[in-house]
Amino acid sequence: MKPKRPLDPYLFLAPTALVLGLFFFWPLALVFKNSLYRWDMLTPPEWVGAANYGQILASGELWGTIGRTLSYSVVVVVLSLGLGLGLALALDRPGKLYAFVRGAVFSAYVVSWVAVALLWMWILDADGGLLSTLCRAVGITPKNWLGDPAVALYTLAAVSVWKITGYSMVIFLAGLQDIPRSLHEAAALDGAGPFSRFLHVTWPMLRPSASFVGTTSLILSFQAFDVVRVMTQGGPVKSTTVFVYAIYEHVFVNLRVGRASAMTVAFFVLLLGLTALQLLSWRLGKPGARRA
Amino acid sequence: MKLRFSGILLGVVALLWVGPYAWMVLTSLRTLPEIVAAPAWPIPKSIQFDAYREVLTAIPVGRYFLNTTAMAVAIALLQILLALPAGYALAKLHFVGKKVAFALVLACLLIPAQVTFVPVFSMLGPIGLVNTFAALVLPFGVSALGTFLVRQALLSVPDEMIEAARLDGASELRIVYGLLAPMLRPTLASLFLFSFVFHYNDYFWPLVMTTDDDVRTLPLAVALLREQGTGVRWHIVMAGNVILSLPVLALFAAVQKQILRAVTARVG
Amino acid sequence: MSVRLGRRDALITLASSFAALAGAGCARGGKDGEASLWFAYGGTNREVLLSLVNRFNAEQSTYRIKAIYQGDYFEALAKLRTAIAARAAPALTHVVGEVVPYLAQAGTLLPIDETNHVTGDVVPALGQTGCFVRGSERPIVCAPFNRSTPIAYYNRALFDELGLRPPTTWSELESVARAATLRSSDGTVTRHGFACPIDWWFWVALVGQAGGTVVEDDGTPSLGGEAGVRALEFWQRLVHEERTMKPPPGRDYNAWQATNNDFLAGRVAMIWTSTAFLKYLETNAKFPVGAAPLPADVRRSVPTGGTMFVIPAASSEPERPAARAFLQWMMQPRQANEWATRTGYLPVSQKGLAELEASGYYREHPNDRVALDQLKDAFAWPWAPSLFRIQREAVQPRLEEAVLARRDARATLDEARRAAGEP
Repeated sequence: MKPKRPLDPYLFLAPTALVLGLFFFWPLALVFKNSLYRWDMLTPPEWVGAANYGQILASGELWGTIGRTLSYSVVVVVLSLGLGLGLALALDRPGKLYAFVRGAVFSAYVVSWVAVALLWMWILDADGGLLSTLCRAVGITPKNWLGDPAVALYTLAAVSVWKITGYSMVIFLAGLQDIPRSLHEAAALDGAGPFSRFLHVTWPMLRPSASFVGTTSLILSFQAFDVVRVMTQGGPVKSTTVFVYAIYEHVFVNLRVGRASAMTVAFFVLLLGLTALQLLSWRLGKPGARRA
Repeated sequence: MKLRFSGILLGVVALLWVGPYAWMVLTSLRTLPEIVAAPAWPIPKSIQFDAYREVLTAIPVGRYFLNTTAMAVAIALLQILLALPAGYALAKLHFVGKKVAFALVLACLLIPAQVTFVPVFSMLGPIGLVNTFAALVLPFGVSALGTFLVRQALLSVPDEMIEAARLDGASELRIVYGLLAPMLRPTLASLFLFSFVFHYNDYFWPLVMTTDDDVRTLPLAVALLREQGTGVRWHIVMAGNVILSLPVLALFAAVQKQILRAVTARVG
Repeated sequence: MSVRLGRRDALITLASSFAALAGAGCARGGKDGEASLWFAYGGTNREVLLSLVNRFNAEQSTYRIKAIYQGDYFEALAKLRTAIAARAAPALTHVVGEVVPYLAQAGTLLPIDETNHVTGDVVPALGQTGCFVRGSERPIVCAPFNRSTPIAYYNRALFDELGLRPPTTWSELESVARAATLRSSDGTVTRHGFACPIDWWFWVALVGQAGGTVVEDDGTPSLGGEAGVRALEFWQRLVHEERTMKPPPGRDYNAWQATNNDFLAGRVAMIWTSTAFLKYLETNAKFPVGAAPLPADVRRSVPTGGTMFVIPAASSEPERPAARAFLQWMMQPRQANEWATRTGYLPVSQKGLAELEASGYYREHPNDRVALDQLKDAFAWPWAPSLFRIQREAVQPRLEEAVLARRDARATLDEARRAAGEP
């Protein structure tokens, strides 16, 4: 449509442009700039060129952080996706009881990360915690869930899975609702068993949902922070220092804004890469759905 | 046989997801000596509200709750307020640079707060905005996702309707807020709920943007209940947790359908 | 809203709602004579501080102190530096001693004692006199507040039962820890003889005992040289070979807390931690708690710890008189002693200390004496701006790595030394 007055569209977009410019694009440019300085926020910044990048590469910090963030994210995404799909299939039934359980699973997604992290800290407490006590009761030696460098990252991942499985379940449920009954009926008439019906009818129809949930949860779990900050502060040793926490620690604990900015640039590039992956998987996901 | 299996499954799932909440509530109703003596014994000897009393006296829960709610509501409203005209321009009006503008809005989906917080902080600092309500609200005044969703929803509104309104002499803003907004009610409600829940729960941004008691939000205050040094008093932390979670859980129970739609609206 | 609401009006409304939002938080800054005090203790120590603040507010009507809890030392410090950068700092707060030179050099602290009223009566070892307080031309920017040394706590009932005495040397520590460790039939340890947070502070104590210095007077991070390695290997041996020492899980004060909990629950027979937890441990233990000085290797040595009061330059001017008044009041014998005897921290006032001695307090509370007596073995931190980075960035994370992930002690410290040398 033609705007009533030629300037209208620009005026309508102006507030949005102002906020986005001020709080997204301009800061992003500043991050690039800051990454070339050494700055502690208290004294004037000092130009150091690419030294910050050199440092995070040479110290192995960048790769270590990417590695930890990836392991955490992969565990979270794979488990929450699998579990979410399983629950969606199992709970896609009428009845109040099923609705309640669906609601319960999803409610964890609505509750704040802080509450979830504190709650699980108490459940996972190495000595008085519920889980360790249950383990002892059945004769298993409990692990030091949050205190063992080899275990802590996966403990955090498990807590995150508990929190976000409801999300993927809900998306899968919505996907399931979109599958016409007639498809199932036709397949059943053809003599297909439940497993082959899932493989040939349900799954192809759910593929777009799966790639959507997969990529969004991947990007979200890359941004994990709260759960780390509350439960482990990046430790023990550095085992749970994921990307955002590393950036936070550089800024607020070590007062190294330059190094933090270099890490942020790396983080941003990584997110861009993941988004490219997302677009790709959507494109791959869609024709698959059509074929079914 | 099949029924029994699905019954067991239902039980296990319910236990896994309802159990932790129950544990939270049970712990909050016990006393410290009881917890120290038998940390994992589920049944409180008697129901004690001491922990709640202590949380309520230790921190100004009411004010923090108000801070948090006001912040989340302000953000959600501002997002809707700004998304409507922007979405209208992007969906309905022809102008030079439309594609670029739309692409730039979408690009913001890629820039999370975790990337921008350092410069935003150092930008707001010198002008005295850190530690203010503004620092909590303004950076989220525009939701790229919200603008996108509003635009998508407006695409399906027929042009004729808008033209008719123009012929009736309605101003453009009247069309946006008076005609189109009511038509988009479900989308806007989803947007509001999604944004509200996200920002009510947000820990990261208030953590880095505020140090002051006056603007502290509830998640920060509850995280601080886990005091260091002289033993975590889990009953108090869990009481804080209940206080923090109850409002969102109640909201969820009340408008479950809309929240679910808000979440699933993100597909496609 | 009128039907014919113009575009212009709407934009003005929008702009003014922005402005209103922006202004909503701006009207901060205290009322007359009010000042905020940021503090960083939980539990018992928080309650004692708050009761002191309440008394100050009740005793006079000119000033009012508003105490705000900001998490543990390091969390509060992060908040403080953020607030300094944003020029929104409180008028009074307390920070770990190691960071004072850094903050002072960046010009973020105000002189607090032009008249010598505040720190005139300070116990020298606690004010690091000659260095932090009155040591040079530098203005005094900090006053000792909650100051401490590490001490050993032991389960007296258990020690009596096993016929053990608190160790006075490293080798005695080893044998006592062995004797107090309990193993079940399958070899898992059910009670550790010894526990101590894998923390800079205790490592510094060990290095000193082994004859080394961690940071030289000119700020060189020597990290104790051989003594540093020896100290770290001592921990490694106790944890991995002897399996008599429990390395408590968690970072920073999480580990300290775990140490306290283990001790109180009887899972550990003896711990090292700050004298600050004395009253807490005495009150909450179901057994008599004994306190003892740290053992010696080639000599006795302990660092001092805890925090110093500072007045940030980025605080608001009208708040400062109240902050100064409260600071001066806190340094008086009565308050200093109340703080000390109710928490376990050391009394910072010489006059107050003399009063306590005269009143027979230390005869009645021998545990309180331990840290005080140890002050003769305490060394002063150098006035080195790099001190804090050396602690937090270079050494602390690597200690955990060496002990928990069992990395070679020498390589770890070499790397720490390199990291400490980074600008």
